[in-house]
Amino acid sequence: MKADLPKLRSAASVQFSRFSANRMAMISVWLLALTVALCFLGPYAFPFTAEDADFDNISAGVDLFSIHPFGTDDYGRDLLIRVLEGGQVSLMIGFLGALVAGVIGVLYGAVAGFAGGRTDNIMMRFVEVLYGFPYVILVILLSLLLGGGTLALFTALVFTLWLTPAVIVRAQAQSLSRREFIEAARAGGMTSWQIVTQHIVPNTISLVIVYGSLLVPEVILSESFLSFLGIGIKEPQASWGNLIQIGTSQMATDLRLLLLPGTLLALVLFCLNFIADGLRDAFDPNEH
Amino acid sequence: MDCETPLTQMNTNLLSLHDLSVHFAHGGGQTTVVDRVSLTLGAGEVLGIVGESGSGKSQLLFALMGLLASNGNATGHALFDGQDLLSLPTKALDRVRGASLSMIFQDPMTALNPYKRIGDQLAEGLIHHQGLPRAAALAEASRMLDRVRIPDAPRAARRYPHEFSGGMRQRVMIAMALLVKPKLLLADEPTTALDVTIQAQVLDLMLEIAHETGTAIILVTHDLGVVARICDRVAVLYGGRIMEEGPAETMLSDPRHPYARGLLATTPRLEAAITPRLPTIPGAPRSGGAMLPSCPFAPRCSDKMPACDHMPPLRDIGPERRLACHLEPAP
Amino acid sequence: MIPFVAKRLWNGFLTLAALATLTFFVMRLAPGGPFSRNRKISPEVQANIEAAFHLDEPVYQQFARYIWGILRGDLGPSTRFRDYSVNDLIAAGLPTSLTIGFWAILVAALVGIALGLAGALRRNGWTDYAAGAVGVIGIAIPIFIIGPLMQAYFSVYLGWLPVGGWNDGWRSLILPVLVLALPNIAYISRLTRSSTIEVLRENHVRTARAKGIGPARVLLGHAMTGALLPVIAYLGPASAALITGSILIETVFALPGIGRFFVDAALNRDYPLVMGITLVYGGFLIIFNIMTDLVRGWLDPRIRHEG
Repeated sequence: MKADLPKLRSAASVQFSRFSANRMAMISVWLLALTVALCFLGPYAFPFTAEDADFDNISAGVDLFSIHPFGTDDYGRDLLIRVLEGGQVSLMIGFLGALVAGVIGVLYGAVAGFAGGRTDNIMMRFVEVLYGFPYVILVILLSLLLGGGTLALFTALVFTLWLTPAVIVRAQAQSLSRREFIEAARAGGMTSWQIVTQHIVPNTISLVIVYGSLLVPEVILSESFLSFLGIGIKEPQASWGNLIQIGTSQMATDLRLLLLPGTLLALVLFCLNFIADGLRDAFDPNEH
Repeated sequence: MDCETPLTQMNTNLLSLHDLSVHFAHGGGQTTVVDRVSLTLGAGEVLGIVGESGSGKSQLLFALMGLLASNGNATGHALFDGQDLLSLPTKALDRVRGASLSMIFQDPMTALNPYKRIGDQLAEGLIHHQGLPRAAALAEASRMLDRVRIPDAPRAARRYPHEFSGGMRQRVMIAMALLVKPKLLLADEPTTALDVTIQAQVLDLMLEIAHETGTAIILVTHDLGVVARICDRVAVLYGGRIMEEGPAETMLSDPRHPYARGLLATTPRLEAAITPRLPTIPGAPRSGGAMLPSCPFAPRCSDKMPACDHMPPLRDIGPERRLACHLEPAP
Repeated sequence: MIPFVAKRLWNGFLTLAALATLTFFVMRLAPGGPFSRNRKISPEVQANIEAAFHLDEPVYQQFARYIWGILRGDLGPSTRFRDYSVNDLIAAGLPTSLTIGFWAILVAALVGIALGLAGALRRNGWTDYAAGAVGVIGIAIPIFIIGPLMQAYFSVYLGWLPVGGWNDGWRSLILPVLVLALPNIAYISRLTRSSTIEVLRENHVRTARAKGIGPARVLLGHAMTGALLPVIAYLGPASAALITGSILIETVFALPGIGRFFVDAALNRDYPLVMGITLVYGGFLIIFNIMTDLVRGWLDPRIRHEG
């Protein structure tokens, strides 16, 4: 296994340099990092939180040099802080959700692909049936079942999104399990679980990174979509989805309530998509 | 000038190449894969072009067919039937290719359209070029499939490529290329992808039908055994240049160029299809824009001499034989 | 061809059965019944209502009743709109949803394929860049942002089109269809572009060019099938995306379709309506996937023969 290390490293560095040569992807990384920093650190720069109502400044307009640079909503809550804190929720659900769904999918797929035979058949039939479900409907049903709220939404999203990584990893695991080094590991007395976690999973990493990076925008989009419909994250907890919903309802009088969270959400989705594209080109140049 | 034959004289030939070069542009640079090739071919003649992979032999054929990749570019002249193939606009070229000029490709597994019945794929050319009604063209196609010994041809015509083996598919390709009775058939390693046991059958079939229709053939191959069996004349290509050219019989028994000799020496039995074991030299095909003046084979040549820094032109060295090497003094 | 279809029908049936079962139990297990919000009802009234909706029966009996109902095509009464059955509500909302979905997928397919082809055939030309821009916008800006923005511009500011509703004939259709089609245009054009570029490099297309049949025939007769197969394969999942989209579109544009009914029913725990619409969506998804598979099988003999 030692002998493989330098080769692995050089492959990784090739991929890294290929990724960093992709201008759009690199710009996206920096923009995304900036947005994340803004969402998580920005609120500390202000003496109030998103829930604090400023009764002297209700529905204040945009005034970049005032204490409320983007104004307040009709409860007197600072709009910028609300959007930034909403961003915390959306980003956290997005990254955590993709991570958890990715881990579940990878393990499920690796086990199915490695086990093969009937186990594989049953496991994949289950995935196939779930795949046939209308995805949003399933999320909505599950989040209802779990009683609504942030955690329910998170669980529902994870439950519906682990399918794609599972299918992809399973195919990879299937071809890996026929390779010599797996035979060798088995002959060397490793247990099946050790083989799955130490050999199969590490060898699917690049695939997982590529598809995992596509999961992040998907989770963020689904979260904001459900919150927009009133099924996901609910007031007074802010998220980009429910802020956009409020923005829509007041669009006729005040477009900024829609534009501020909307722009940030679009920016993040935009960056994530370009990063995912860049990763795919870096890891899998044949695809293009 | 490599070619001493004046242009006017060439017109009696079916095909005459004059200083044909193929370049590929990439990333600001340019690679030359075929370098000033001049050749002639008479009606019904079978010419073998021999060389290792990377010698530019396939690109030479693609250039004639107007099938170079979009970053490829061919210069020089290729007079075929009175027209210069290299300067014809696509519309005019489309009246030639598939009609009087056909091609068989290297990989039969991917060369046929997987979504169309093979009968339709065969008939297409007849319908387009000869204006045959569909039914007549299909009947013709099925007759041709029978001719290339595909069992149960009328039913086979209604099948799709994936239902045939590689050897059968290449027979289909041969049928497709010769169905239009072309004057010239370009065959790009037509049997390389096939099982050794059926290579000979397929080649013989191709030759047989070509003789019936009076079709000339340019056969690109790296297999000297094949050349010895079916070619009238041979040209040896290295690094995009012709090294030696002449009648198959005399050239194979008495090669003059060190590379040609090497090729022959590494083919132990002419009847067996064995790839020459000469390693490809690093750095060839040459790149970097300018064509180097030196002989491309010099780095690997055991008879290298100082004069090899300048590539000699092809010179006549005997009846119908030409050679580009300093070893042989001019007669 | 027959085993090919049969296999897909059987899979579709399994999925639908699983969906029906899952929906039923999720709805039964979900906290808060449909009437728990009305605190004021007396226990007797509550008991009466529960009896009317068979909520007093043991779960297995309710399940049997529900499955029997589905088999007879009767989805039961709605608990929110007391005077209507679920069948009535679906019958009322489905035409709206189908009309929008149909036009959206048509527009998305035609525009997406055209943009993708134009991009592939004239790479780095202006159509290619335009398609790329549409692609980025369509993928990065969600429906529920672009929808309201278009409303704000075309309806409120310019006053050209109705803000929402279903009462202005074709003018009511334009914005919803456009907004719903946009992300699909983005995806389809990207897919068409890359698959066309790939197919044009394939050996069999080179063979076709060698036949001298002209660029148009090479493209339409030989390259098109291979280029469109991935696009057609995407149309199956796209119909699922369309369901998601139609839920949003109907909410944003206040359209009386089943998507809006669904959200409403979910928020108000109208179990029978949620289950009914879920089944309708599931059924459409399955039918669409089967149709997609059939078209792919029809175009590609290898898929057809594989079964």
